[in-house]
Amino acid sequence: MKWCKRWSFLIILAMAGVVYYGAPQGIQWINDWRGMISTGEESPADDTVTAGGDAAESSKVGEDPEGNSGDTSGDIAGDISGDISPETPPETGISPEGGEPVPGATPEPEPLPEETPEPTATPEPEIRIGRVEDDYFSDALFLGDSRTVGLYKYGVWGETATFYASTGMTIYKLFGAEIVELPEQPDPISVEEALQHQSFSKIYIMMGINEVGSGTTESFAQAYGEVVARLQELQPDAIIYIQSILKVSQARSDKGDYINNEAIQARNDALSQLADGEKVFYLDVNSALCDENGALFGDYTFDGVHLKAKYITLWEEFLRDNAVLLD
Amino acid sequence: MVFSSIEFLLYFLPIFILVYMIVPHKARNGVLVIGSMIFYAFGDLRGLGVLAVSAVGNFLAARVIRRKRGLIVAVAANIGVLILFKYYQGGAMLPMGISFYTFQAVSYLVDVYRREVPVERKFVDFAAYIMMFPKLVMGPITSYRDLRRQLRRRNCNAESLQEGLKLFILGLCGKVLLADQLALLWQEVQVAGFESISTPLAWIAAVAYSLQLYFDFAGYSVMSVGLGRMLGFSLPENFRQPYMARSVREFYRRWHMSLGDWFCKYVYIPLGGSRRGEGRTVCNLLAVWLLTSLWHGITGNFLIWGMGICLLIILERQMGRLWKGKAPAICHLYLCAVIPVTWMCFAITDMGQLGIYLSRMFAIGEGVAVHARDWQSALADYGLLLAAGVAASTPLTRWVYQKLEKRWLGMLLLAAGFWFCVHRVLLVGENPFMYRNF
Repeated sequence: MKWCKRWSFLIILAMAGVVYYGAPQGIQWINDWRGMISTGEESPADDTVTAGGDAAESSKVGEDPEGNSGDTSGDIAGDISGDISPETPPETGISPEGGEPVPGATPEPEPLPEETPEPTATPEPEIRIGRVEDDYFSDALFLGDSRTVGLYKYGVWGETATFYASTGMTIYKLFGAEIVELPEQPDPISVEEALQHQSFSKIYIMMGINEVGSGTTESFAQAYGEVVARLQELQPDAIIYIQSILKVSQARSDKGDYINNEAIQARNDALSQLADGEKVFYLDVNSALCDENGALFGDYTFDGVHLKAKYITLWEEFLRDNAVLLD
Repeated sequence: MVFSSIEFLLYFLPIFILVYMIVPHKARNGVLVIGSMIFYAFGDLRGLGVLAVSAVGNFLAARVIRRKRGLIVAVAANIGVLILFKYYQGGAMLPMGISFYTFQAVSYLVDVYRREVPVERKFVDFAAYIMMFPKLVMGPITSYRDLRRQLRRRNCNAESLQEGLKLFILGLCGKVLLADQLALLWQEVQVAGFESISTPLAWIAAVAYSLQLYFDFAGYSVMSVGLGRMLGFSLPENFRQPYMARSVREFYRRWHMSLGDWFCKYVYIPLGGSRRGEGRTVCNLLAVWLLTSLWHGITGNFLIWGMGICLLIILERQMGRLWKGKAPAICHLYLCAVIPVTWMCFAITDMGQLGIYLSRMFAIGEGVAVHARDWQSALADYGLLLAAGVAASTPLTRWVYQKLEKRWLGMLLLAAGFWFCVHRVLLVGENPFMYRNF
């Protein structure tokens, strides 16, 4: 007994470790403790890996704790490692409702543009790409990850347009992400649910940096295509803009992990195939922000991944200049 | 290997302690040297050679030095190697911990020359002094005189082991739960770009950085003292609640104390200290702070930082005669306003960016794409953390720790804190310590 008292702290420490890591799931108070610790992670000052796991729960529309995305050690890399976690099957993002068959999800890998449920427009409206003013974006929805959060925070449309964006967001978990706060709802609702309540005439998507480390170009493009198809079901009148995944700086690309511009380019090439030129358009945002080697200008970014606030305006200007004019 | 990494916490430390406790007393210094070399090799394999050369070289040098000329050559060789690595490729090849162990080696050579300590005859003891992993990477810079007896004989038992472990966990919590979390705000501000932050946010971020740096380095230092205690050493305290100081002068007597003591003992006092008139004192202070700036880095911002501090200290010396410690609250406010500004000079190595940051702090000129209420969301996200940081930098931490450390509640909290930190590190990976670059 004396021995026990002498080594009391080591014993407590070891027991705490055994209880935390070794105890079976069945014991309620241990689960509570584990739960307490994991909610601790969702504290505002949280970083991306958690975000990768469940940023969704902790974040509000657009503005959210995760500007934290720039986590000290691995920033986006963090996002990714969270996202590659094997528990994220690419399908879950698209059909959270389970039973409902999703167009394009089944045999053909690509949702063919011809199949898009768009029976209206008998006299084909003429489609022109041109310059628009800021009011064009007041009924637009932006879907995206931390980069789009930057557009929300530091851009000029933060107050007028709608943003469903959150750090660590991926195409796989987009619809299930409970990040939308509506005035009449006490708790944030999922993106998919929100899309059933609100309607938009333009939807801008930029996602894919957090996914670079997971899946293949094909599986990513397929999941993306499924999201686009589902968006068209939910918002049949909206124009959908697929923005190219913003490249990273040369320095970031040369770091030697899976985030590199070649991988991003390959995925962008695949994304550009999803456009149908009628309702779905591909926007090569990189053309406005990249140098001659196709890397994000080093001056435009601190961490190589996110645009500095000052340069958000270039992105906005590109979107103004490349809008679909429907008359 | 970083103290706050899984390899260290769950593998190296338990195995090392076990071996260390099992072997006979006589073999412990040897075990410590080998363990420290393994520890070092995980962090910087290439630098291991430099470390070994430094240990052997200084051990031999101290045995042959008789005259001043010999001392000068030996010290110059140490400092020369340090400068070489600091300047070569902008410090990209800097061996881990070299600034810290070089200063300890120099202090040993000088002390031997001054006959303040006898020459060490046993290489293992000397190598243990230079290399012991608790203080190898970032200090505290400990003089050989303080450790000589302990290297020969020290008490290492259940009590000291657990006391040290508790201290270690306290420091770990400071690093993982405060410093690493506060770091996210600073990162956020850097990602947005300094030109685009509002003035309130510039101040909030500067305060956040000040706390981050403190908990990072003080956390490390407490871990270091704790590890030393586990092995039976008593290493010197490196911080004494610096943010409670009432002048910059006092601040630097409480911040990174082992470095301040080193400069005081081996530069300031030999130059005459404050005993040769006011003019000479000012020169001596300038010399010390010039060297302190250079020790931290060769970029211009460190010079601005060091010279700024030096200027404030000189002014305070003059003002002190008139002020005579009146209105301590005002003095404390002054310190709290001025220190975050100096830390920004310390943190931002690019001069252009530093200029932009300071202009945002003092609302000079217009920002670009400033989101005017950005500070509100920063406070919403980090307010609690900042408040916790402020509270933890008061004497409260020590008071609570001493009250609870021996009780069941305190032990339970520390145990939970340890596993929580492990959990965090597993989740997000460890972050390097900030002073490691110096």
